[in-house]
Amino acid sequence: MQAQTLVQMKHVRKEFPGVTALSDMSFDIRAGEVHVLLGENGAGKSTLMKILSGVHKPTSGSVVIDGKEYKSLTPHDANRLGIRVIYQELSVIPTLSIRENLFVGRLPVKKRAFFHTVDYGEMQRRAEGLLEKVGLHRDARTPVEDLSISEKQQVEIAKALAVDSRVIIMDEPTASLTHEEVRHLFAVIRALKAQGRGIVFISHKLPEIMEIGDRVTVLKDGANVGTKQIADVTADDLVTMMVGRQIRKNYQNESAPDGFEQEEVLFEVKGLSRRDGKARDVSFRLHKGEILGFAGLVGAGRSELMDAVFGAAPKQSGQILLHGKEIRTKSPYQAIRNGLAMVTENRRETGFFHNFDIKQNISLLPFVKTARGGGTLGLIDRRFEKRCAEQQRKALRIKCASVNQPVTELSGGNQQKVILGRWLAAQSEILIFDEPTKGIDVGSKAEIYALMRELADSGKGVLVVSSELPELLAVCDTIAVYREGEIVRVFPHSAATEENIVLAAAAGDTE
Amino acid sequence: MKGERNMASKERAKEKLTFNTLWQRFGTFGILILLLAILAVARPGHFFSVSTVTQILAQSSVNILIALGEFFAILIAGIDLSVGSVVALTGMVTAQLMVAGVHPLLSLVLGVLLGGVLGLINGVLVNRTGLHPFIITLGTQAILRGVTLIISNSSAVFGFPASFTRTISVNVFGLVPLVAIIALLTAVVLSFLTRQTKLGRNIYALGGNREAAWYAGINVKLHTLIVFMISGLCAGLAGVVLLGRVGSAEPAAATGFETYAIAAAIIGGTSFFGGKGKIFGVVIGGFIIGVINFGMNLLSLPSTLQQVVMGALIIGSVALDRFVANKK
Repeated sequence: MQAQTLVQMKHVRKEFPGVTALSDMSFDIRAGEVHVLLGENGAGKSTLMKILSGVHKPTSGSVVIDGKEYKSLTPHDANRLGIRVIYQELSVIPTLSIRENLFVGRLPVKKRAFFHTVDYGEMQRRAEGLLEKVGLHRDARTPVEDLSISEKQQVEIAKALAVDSRVIIMDEPTASLTHEEVRHLFAVIRALKAQGRGIVFISHKLPEIMEIGDRVTVLKDGANVGTKQIADVTADDLVTMMVGRQIRKNYQNESAPDGFEQEEVLFEVKGLSRRDGKARDVSFRLHKGEILGFAGLVGAGRSELMDAVFGAAPKQSGQILLHGKEIRTKSPYQAIRNGLAMVTENRRETGFFHNFDIKQNISLLPFVKTARGGGTLGLIDRRFEKRCAEQQRKALRIKCASVNQPVTELSGGNQQKVILGRWLAAQSEILIFDEPTKGIDVGSKAEIYALMRELADSGKGVLVVSSELPELLAVCDTIAVYREGEIVRVFPHSAATEENIVLAAAAGDTE
Repeated sequence: MKGERNMASKERAKEKLTFNTLWQRFGTFGILILLLAILAVARPGHFFSVSTVTQILAQSSVNILIALGEFFAILIAGIDLSVGSVVALTGMVTAQLMVAGVHPLLSLVLGVLLGGVLGLINGVLVNRTGLHPFIITLGTQAILRGVTLIISNSSAVFGFPASFTRTISVNVFGLVPLVAIIALLTAVVLSFLTRQTKLGRNIYALGGNREAAWYAGINVKLHTLIVFMISGLCAGLAGVVLLGRVGSAEPAAATGFETYAIAAAIIGGTSFFGGKGKIFGVVIGGFIIGVINFGMNLLSLPSTLQQVVMGALIIGSVALDRFVANKK
């Protein structure tokens, strides 16, 4: 006997201006199952979630719930029909108590003579019942900000149960949990299953998927490339399905020679650790002419590793060597003086200065670097400033009306070039790129890749952190796979494929 | 395609020239002219006299000096609420030094330096606690006022050499008050610092984007320290100038002056969100405050109404600033 189907998606298509997020997506969720959704970044998972929760309207196709067909859902529909999404960025309100979070917007009330008041007794009683169901042993009056991440997640699940959700979609719920907390979450998920609810579980971690899932659907380029019983597949099968039959060769850099071991070591990190465990005894070498990439899942700690290398975050231990000589990087200032540079992940927050024009953004670093005329109290050399900016504008092909234009008027790709220009003007030797093409259009991406190659060829060291595998495969000579604060595998370009990188990054606990 | 995009950005640049930059350059100046015109029309007999110019200059000087320091605190997206208390304390200490027989010139220098030290303390507290300057300087505002009351036994100090008061209150060529020259010289020095030095550029960077400044290797804490020290030094200078003009050190002197300083900086076009503003604008802002005060007296309006006008001006100019920012 087959379990009852709770939700069925039929040929759903979703187009955004310029992109098709879902091309033809069909899949169903049954009562009492854990249905895993697997796919690379950009495969369409979040669009799918947003259609089910009523945030987005499908372009075509339909969703069938309780035998009734819907062309599109509103958030209100999703709520009423018992569909609940638990996003990675939890939506609990930290300053309120657990019980207030559970009933926010629908507090139980008592009728008085002229007005209603909150019925705290009723609220407490119902909250305790819900917390019992999700196994959270906390006083319901505790402020949510005092809870750990996994406890907050339990509150989210309890919130879903408070409205008696029958389908609960969890977006990478284990991304920031410890091993113990994952065990606990799985126990809760099994309990929900037993109550006949349908769970959609989104994760990249294959061992977890194999353990908790009943069925798995693999998404690729906005379509379902196969739904299987977990019992019938291996982790390798899943990776092959996810990456696709045809591996995209077109980006690959064919001239890249392997065997950088013979080259001079430009930059080296030895035994670097962070107190928070985002880097645990990490060592790597960068050779002359080599571009070294860091692959890994979101939350693996790659950005944190680079922050520690660059001195933007404290190190617990570890050495940093440039040309075989140890350098100190206790602050970005020291790191920069010693020849390091970092193009950060968020241009807006940590990259450019919105109140400066292009030339001021480019020429800022030489000023801090005291490259000219006596320290902080030195004077600004306007001719040098202008020359510096014009030079970078030409070298990096920055498209702008003039270097006096505000940097905020440029496109993302050109803003990124301005930041890169700043580091080049400072004559940095080692350039760290953290997600260098985030939010940048395809044409500019190719240009930035070409620039990175030029830099490496001219003798600069280039390190790249990226969550886009095709990007790493396109620009890197060597790819290190980072997982839970450690480099777990290093692939030379000739041996690197999407499959083996995904497998290494997602292998999770291999006890 | 490319040509189109270029054209579009040029057009946008032109649009901004007509509205945004115009306000930023001349908006404040316009307010000042408008206020002066109102006075000239209302009291033509009194207004067109040499003493009017002298009085406005003298009255504005203390405001301008305090506002110049406040400008830096606001430029880094902070604030300094303690300036009024710093003025009172430095004035009080300078007066007591002179009464105790210390040479007036040395007392003056020590008073100004004391202001710098008090600013430094603000900076250290901000850096060490990581709290917003609003909280720190709200605290030191009360503490320093308290210290002033304690060391003065809650009573005014006078009886220091008349030469001091006379010198401070002198009018050069019988026309330009010395204090105005001091204020304008300070403005010139600080304007040079903001426009021509790396220190100034770094402070603007810090105000525009604190995180990016850290990643760009700017010593955030050192620059925060310097900013509060400049604010303290300016307030110290204002304290000494006020002492000379008033002729006695009052423990309640300069109460609420931080409001005028903030108003002058904001009316002068300094962005409350940090990173934007010019010394020239602050000077004009300081003059506007001075003209309002002077004009109210000239029109024999109750001094209580001054507060109302000041408040309305603050809201109006900041709202306009926000409007311009959104327009972009």
